[in-house]
Amino acid sequence: MMDNKYLQKMIWFFLLAAAWELIALSGWFSPLIFPSVETILRTLYSSIISGELLQQVIFSLSLISQGLIISLLLAFIMSLLSLTSNTIAGLIDTLVAMAHPLPGIALMPLVLIWFGAGRSAIIIIIVHSVIWPLVLNLITGFRSIPQIYRLVGKNYGLNTVEIMWNIMAPASLPYFLAGFKIGWARAWRALISAEMLFGAAGSFGGLGWYIFKKRVFFDIPGVFAGIVVIIIIGVLVEDLIFDKIEKMTVKKWGMQT
Amino acid sequence: MKKFIVIINLLLILILILSGCNNTQTGQISIAEQYGLAYAPIQIMKEKGFLKAYDPDLDVKWKQLGNTVAIREAMLAGNVDIGFMAIPPFLIGRDKGMKWKIINGLNISPLGLVTYKENVDSIDDITVEDRIALPQPGSIQHILLAMACEKRFSNASKFDDILVTMAHPDGMNALLSRKEITAHFTSPPYIFEELAVGNIHQILSGKEAMGGEFTFIIGVGTEKFHDNNPENYQIFVKSLHDAIEFIKQNPEEAAKILANKYEISEEKILKYITWPGMKYTSSIKGVEQFIDFMQKTGYINLKYNDISEISWGEETHDGQ
Repeated sequence: MMDNKYLQKMIWFFLLAAAWELIALSGWFSPLIFPSVETILRTLYSSIISGELLQQVIFSLSLISQGLIISLLLAFIMSLLSLTSNTIAGLIDTLVAMAHPLPGIALMPLVLIWFGAGRSAIIIIIVHSVIWPLVLNLITGFRSIPQIYRLVGKNYGLNTVEIMWNIMAPASLPYFLAGFKIGWARAWRALISAEMLFGAAGSFGGLGWYIFKKRVFFDIPGVFAGIVVIIIIGVLVEDLIFDKIEKMTVKKWGMQT
Repeated sequence: MKKFIVIINLLLILILILSGCNNTQTGQISIAEQYGLAYAPIQIMKEKGFLKAYDPDLDVKWKQLGNTVAIREAMLAGNVDIGFMAIPPFLIGRDKGMKWKIINGLNISPLGLVTYKENVDSIDDITVEDRIALPQPGSIQHILLAMACEKRFSNASKFDDILVTMAHPDGMNALLSRKEITAHFTSPPYIFEELAVGNIHQILSGKEAMGGEFTFIIGVGTEKFHDNNPENYQIFVKSLHDAIEFIKQNPEEAAKILANKYEISEEKILKYITWPGMKYTSSIKGVEQFIDFMQKTGYINLKYNDISEISWGEETHDGQ
């Protein structure tokens, strides 16, 4: 089954690349607009060999993990707090309603003035993009747990922390994972757009900066190379990390098929 | 296999749709409009209707685009016939295969690197702790800074690791907030506004970096437009000369028109467009110097035998 899925993906990937190549070879477009697959791959290869791209991928991933960890902690605290009192729940609901639809890009001018254009600004944009969907999903997850589960826990003599850890956390895991997936995708987008807008402090730049730099120097194959890397990382994270986590937890426990 | 054919067909249809929608026809001219003092002649040309004066039937399309890079992309896509930019971004495009040439200059302008740090009096005093904001790598501000570094330290990329890419307004805000950005390489009106703030002073001028005068903004046209629409091209050139002449002859009236457009006071605009060092002129200066420097430092590989390969040179020799 699994091989089949990967095989299918590979075949599609190959077909799309072939279609791309056909169009590029047809000469309908100037190669400046529509570079061929091999020019893109060659640019990608030389960027990898020079070490430039790898460094930038690592930089981007480290920013994104910092952003995700901060968001996770904050989201957990906020959603647990909202369980303890209705007043706080009201406040957090209002915050989510206000901030969730607000694109990170819209906040950029403010973030720039308040925090400068460094790493912290990009992390703040990432946290903003991740935290709201995560809080929303966590709260929904917690609220969806039947009262009876908690009562069973109490019957066993578990204290609040034990109930949270042993019952609430696993029971709301599907919601959490769904929220985390959305969060990851949004963090990734926020990161790339923030990097493209803020640029970078010189040598410290991420993937967005790579694309931006290729763009300003009019290196279109380079722009495509950056996009290819983003796609590859996105697919890898989805297939390797999220699939694995789901298999080990919610699927194993029979909560999701 | 069937699916494959369906997809190929869909792609073909998409291509046909896309290719049909960006061709400029005769009787049309599409110009990228930009805001800013350097682009004043374009605004004047538009407001005074100079183009229509030559041909009332001319269909003029003004396009608003955010920055040089976007203009370059729009011209590549065939959406824009004529755009305006500094010499280095033009050269980078030409080097990478853009089929475009310089029409003429718009102006000569003071550019400069400013800082609020009192102990910084020249680029020698800039350290790795500093951060310099400028529009983007490969911009005229970046290349001028690299020229100054090459002269002073024999290392054109000396400050490349402390650059922060920011559009002019963002760069100005960041400098004024005195946080991370300690210096800003910018152009009018931002440089005028920044220098009006206490303690902010200039440590390098564009003229010093270049070692002479240079044209700030040039008009650039696609070869396709020039070759297919010679009449409209001529109309544009004449109108642009009219507009430049108008600003020189009637700065007060020009300031009035621009004040309406830019929502800045008339007095301020008049002060800015007549600032020492601000010259509206169609002459083109500094192209060779930029090419030499950018070749030497590896930004471009551009080879040309004669300047006419990259410029139509429509300057009026008006002695500025």
